[in-house]
Amino acid sequence: MKKKLLSVLLSTAMLVSILSGCGETTTETAASTETTETTEVAEAETEASGEVVEINWMFWDDLEATEDLMSKGYAEVIDRFNTQYEGVYHCTPITTNLEEYDTKLNALIAANDCPDVYICNPGPNLTQYVEAGAAMDLTDLLQNQEADWYGTFTDGIFERMTYDGKIYAVPTNFAAALVFYNTEMFADAGAEVPTTYDEWLVSCQKLQDAGYTPIACSAGTPWCLSMIAGYLCDREGGPDNLVGVNSGTLDWTTDTFINAATKLSELSQYFQPTAAGDSNDQATAAFYNGEAAMLVQGSWVIGQINGNNPDFESKCGVFSFPAVEGGADPNRMIVKTDNLVVSSTTESVDACVALMKCFTDETAQKYTAEVSGKIPVIDVAFDEAAAPAQLAYVMDILKNATGTLGFYNESLASVEAGDTFDNAMVDIFLGNVTVEDGIQSIQDYYTENVWNK
Amino acid sequence: MDRILRDKKAIIIFIAPGFILFTAILLIPICKAFYYSLCDWNALSKPTFVGLDNFIKLFTKDKFMKIALKNSVFFMLFSAITQQVTGLFLAVILSNIKKGKNFFKNIYYLPCVLSSAALGLLWSFMFNQKMGVNQILAMFGIDGPLWLMDTKGFIVLPMWVIGFVATWQYTGSTMMLYMAQISGISGSLYEASYIDGANKLQSFRHITLPLIKPMVVTTLSLNCIGSLKFFDLVYNMTSGGPNHRTDVLATHLYNEGFQYFKYGYASAIGIVLLVFCLLVTFIINKGLKVENYEL
Repeated sequence: MKKKLLSVLLSTAMLVSILSGCGETTTETAASTETTETTEVAEAETEASGEVVEINWMFWDDLEATEDLMSKGYAEVIDRFNTQYEGVYHCTPITTNLEEYDTKLNALIAANDCPDVYICNPGPNLTQYVEAGAAMDLTDLLQNQEADWYGTFTDGIFERMTYDGKIYAVPTNFAAALVFYNTEMFADAGAEVPTTYDEWLVSCQKLQDAGYTPIACSAGTPWCLSMIAGYLCDREGGPDNLVGVNSGTLDWTTDTFINAATKLSELSQYFQPTAAGDSNDQATAAFYNGEAAMLVQGSWVIGQINGNNPDFESKCGVFSFPAVEGGADPNRMIVKTDNLVVSSTTESVDACVALMKCFTDETAQKYTAEVSGKIPVIDVAFDEAAAPAQLAYVMDILKNATGTLGFYNESLASVEAGDTFDNAMVDIFLGNVTVEDGIQSIQDYYTENVWNK
Repeated sequence: MDRILRDKKAIIIFIAPGFILFTAILLIPICKAFYYSLCDWNALSKPTFVGLDNFIKLFTKDKFMKIALKNSVFFMLFSAITQQVTGLFLAVILSNIKKGKNFFKNIYYLPCVLSSAALGLLWSFMFNQKMGVNQILAMFGIDGPLWLMDTKGFIVLPMWVIGFVATWQYTGSTMMLYMAQISGISGSLYEASYIDGANKLQSFRHITLPLIKPMVVTTLSLNCIGSLKFFDLVYNMTSGGPNHRTDVLATHLYNEGFQYFKYGYASAIGIVLLVFCLLVTFIINKGLKVENYEL
């Protein structure tokens, strides 16, 4: 009888534990709650319980295994935060590789298990989290409660993180997309730094004739290829292109986009033979290992290049993406910030703010410039001699910039629209479709999903 | 037996745990997925009922759905044929060898117990242009193809590569099931056939094949359903790319749901996949007539 009773009890316990796992958790939409109230509640809770407040931060690189100097800097920030707030706050990083980051973050948000703080790209990527209510409105917190901290940031840096006048993210660094080149290869081939697209083709030909692979590019990671395509689109038609297609006043099938895609196809004959399948890391490695003469990348790659091959720093030059003759303003630059977003459902706003302050304080921002070669988001004096040589070149080019734009795929109507652009460029590069058909596929997507809404 | 079947309390007690679990983790989610498939839903706001819009869009406007359907059907046929042939071949060979039977059985079955995600990554390295197969081909002066990026042809090369890897991984499972069935066939039947003058091929044709027919239905169903809902190898080797050329139903579902937050639309793909699996199982069960023999 006892055995029977015990087995019944155990069975019931098992069933209850299984079924409780299937239960729905209620979504608390803290976005609508005043940040002040949440902060007070968090403080009160911390004081009352006396327990360490645990938060997590999600990031797109492995902090233990990485060779990327910026990621190493982030790891140091987390260590510093955990030491500084020992006994009060503790942060546990959730890391994944870049390619799977968005998918995993989306899955966590859908499962009501959103990380307290997460890194995010600006543009439609951030928009989808804002629209889904997964990002906290930081306007009041930044402009009123933490006005001193807010005042330290570079002017205008919050522009791409603002929706309907509300700020939803805090930047940690700033990078610009440029062309990195191997000065030794250029000298050996007698190639000159190009200022126009036609000159660029001449340089590529000279490098190829000298036995070098002119450009390392990755089509296996589509955004790398689409970054070049985006630059070409902007050089052809300027800011009107993006504004036009997103507002529905300009067709994708107009000459500027066709010309840009034709130039991409033309330029791709100078890519390394394995470009079609190479990942971003493989293409970057081909550049810093001296297998290719040029790499079109964001300045965040400085940390990756110098981290993996410190000897390469002295022979790595930088030039602005060449102009298209008869095209638009050649001094516009693709720029990007890494951004921290606070979950709208976090129960520890204070801890999240403290963490974000660590990411943007003088120590972290000096490291950003001096070690990783990225541009700080606050006005901080850093040792220019200690900073990577490439950063000085980037800063020089930035001085002449007349305007900025985001990554093309991140500036389109949605994440899916960005993917459609990326995929069309990969198809054109692979020769699966003609330039006209590739561009038509983006036009079709916009006609069906963007303009008719 | 009759006494047990008359005891309704016993029947309820024995059926209840399975029924409750089945309902909680299968039936209810399927019903919910069906409801969501009729909604526009991003998982974070309330679902909006849109009727059959998702299904209409799926079959009339979604060009990637057509690619996914084509690849899933190809993958099902390819897996069913290759795994049946190689699985049965290995089972017959191993059932007839005297030495090393267990050793080879374990070797062939080993890939089945390994993680598909890890194997997917491993094989993606093998078929990367800068390492693995192409390096070996380069030693013989052969310029290897873009194994995982080539997009020419009705069925693209990466789909054949993934099909090959899936066969390598899952043949062992089919082999084990056939070996179990073959081991149940009485040796006296073969002895009698040899006395009557049959050779090995004839005894296989007239004794082994008819007696393993029930297992053909089982393994074929498992192969077909398994390959229809296949996800991990495809995701880890190509992620459905380039430009969705290697998408199957499961990766298309995943992209729509987890990349673009279109959970209602993704649920509709899930329902199509479910119906497809049921249809295939029905066709196999109706198409293959099984007669039970006394072994």
